[in-house]
Amino acid sequence: MGGSGRARWVAAAACVVSGLLMGTSAAQTVGDPNPGAISLSGSMDASNAYLFRGLPQDDTGLILWPAADLSVALRSGGGTLRSVTVSLGTWNSLHTGVTGTDGPSGKLWYESDFSASVGLGFGGGVTFATAYTSYTSPNGAFATVKELSLKVGARVHGVSPYALVAFELEGQADGGVVEGRYLELGAAPSVGLAGATVSIPVKLGISLEGYYEGLEGDERFGFFSVGGNITVPLTSEQSRFGRWNAHGGADYVRLGDANALRLGDNTKVIISAGVGFSY
Amino acid sequence: MFSIRGVRRTTTVVAAATLMLGLAGTRAWAQAAAEPADPNPGALTITGNFDFLNQYMFRGIRQNSTGMAMWPSFDLGIAAYSGEGGLKSVGINIGTWNSLHTGDTGQDGPSGKLWYESDFYATLGLGFGGGFALGTTYTAYTSPNNGFTTVKEIMFKLGVDDSAQLGKFSMKPYAIFAFEFGSEEGTGQADGGLEAGKYLELGIAPGYTGYSRAAIAVPIKLGMSLGDYYELAGEDNKFGYFSIGGIVTVPLGPTGKFGAWNLHFGGEYQMLGDTTKALNGDEGNQFIGSVGFGFSY
Repeated sequence: MGGSGRARWVAAAACVVSGLLMGTSAAQTVGDPNPGAISLSGSMDASNAYLFRGLPQDDTGLILWPAADLSVALRSGGGTLRSVTVSLGTWNSLHTGVTGTDGPSGKLWYESDFSASVGLGFGGGVTFATAYTSYTSPNGAFATVKELSLKVGARVHGVSPYALVAFELEGQADGGVVEGRYLELGAAPSVGLAGATVSIPVKLGISLEGYYEGLEGDERFGFFSVGGNITVPLTSEQSRFGRWNAHGGADYVRLGDANALRLGDNTKVIISAGVGFSY
Repeated sequence: MFSIRGVRRTTTVVAAATLMLGLAGTRAWAQAAAEPADPNPGALTITGNFDFLNQYMFRGIRQNSTGMAMWPSFDLGIAAYSGEGGLKSVGINIGTWNSLHTGDTGQDGPSGKLWYESDFYATLGLGFGGGFALGTTYTAYTSPNNGFTTVKEIMFKLGVDDSAQLGKFSMKPYAIFAFEFGSEEGTGQADGGLEAGKYLELGIAPGYTGYSRAAIAVPIKLGMSLGDYYELAGEDNKFGYFSIGGIVTVPLGPTGKFGAWNLHFGGEYQMLGDTTKALNGDEGNQFIGSVGFGFSY
């Protein structure tokens, strides 16, 4: 997730939210298949490896990431507070490798996350979102982690910088001694190119306390990643089946010592591709 | 909505029925005020429900003895084709149906976990003239808290929506044939038996939508084993259960930009066969009450 899958899903969901933020004009478009207040997005991606915020999960076999998100635009308009959006979503990771069908459980379904979030949109493209996420493992590979996160983002010349702070309420992603606090700083510069969208997501994952616990205690630096993604639309914006796209990309991840020890290497290249839609 | 669901796994039926009841019940609202603009004229339809029950019976097979069951579900329908020929419509549904238990098979049980069941299904539905419809559904019934082993099933459903002929009344007869596959002895089967089972369900869902503020349905169904579906001590009992229930669906306002929402509640009586009775603590009768809300968009 730290690599690509979840980030891409979040990006897709963000696109829907962005659409909702600008919903008034979109709703007035003739032929809009969904001018109401509820939006849906989904994606299915395949990848060679899965790192969650730099924490290695699996890099054997094939990894599949089905995800869906339902968003409700409670408010949309002018003023300082431009929009209020509530979203419910699920993100899943299916593994054919050692943490999935080839592992002790013999079961494919490694991870199932449920999330609920409230997003606020302000003037100038500034957004603020609060999310509760429950990370569960249907095949029993890890204990449930419950988390509260806050995210502030902005649209600045197509760069979309953001900062995210997450607090573990119960359970731990690193399997350590104490619940952790996590900070992520990132940006995703993007540009349109011959009908496609090319983006270069960059992110830095840091432990504020107890998030990357290792042999020498808590390590601040969790990971740094830079990637390249391309998204190609498969349908017109007026399609009654929603907007579909094919996307693919690669992320280079540099890990901190604690995560490198878990992986057995301090770098990883994650390649993924999939299809997505928003409606 | 348990009495239509009869219980859980006819999820698509429930979703579709909820949608139809919701839409039917909404008509009076819509006529009372100006006709609202359709918030979702595209080809995708979303439905969801959240229900609370005192008891969860799956095709007559008891799933919990204590506590409460909660059923969150979600369905995405895609209207892939509609036309005027012999084949009137082609639809695809994918969805998830879940059962959360506070009692002995959930939070109070050995796992200590609430999430007893999570089903994924995909349906291809064909609509023909006269309201005839044929649906083919693949369902994977899984248990996140390991309450049971995964069951995989293919189900065919032939039904008739006669509401166009009967006006505010409808009978909606149907027949379901389902067979389990990919199972082994004692695993991958609803009855935990020796062999994968084959199931037949015959039912009707008489309904009335003439009231301005509510829709009423009285689903009746008979569940039978066509082979090894209700195994007990090496014997397959043909009769699984008989069920009759009543459901009232009350629309929560007119269809708006948030879709159509409803409150629904009902009761159901099940008379159980030998196998299902044995699995129900030797009690041959079961009463179920439910209340919940749903939406379609």
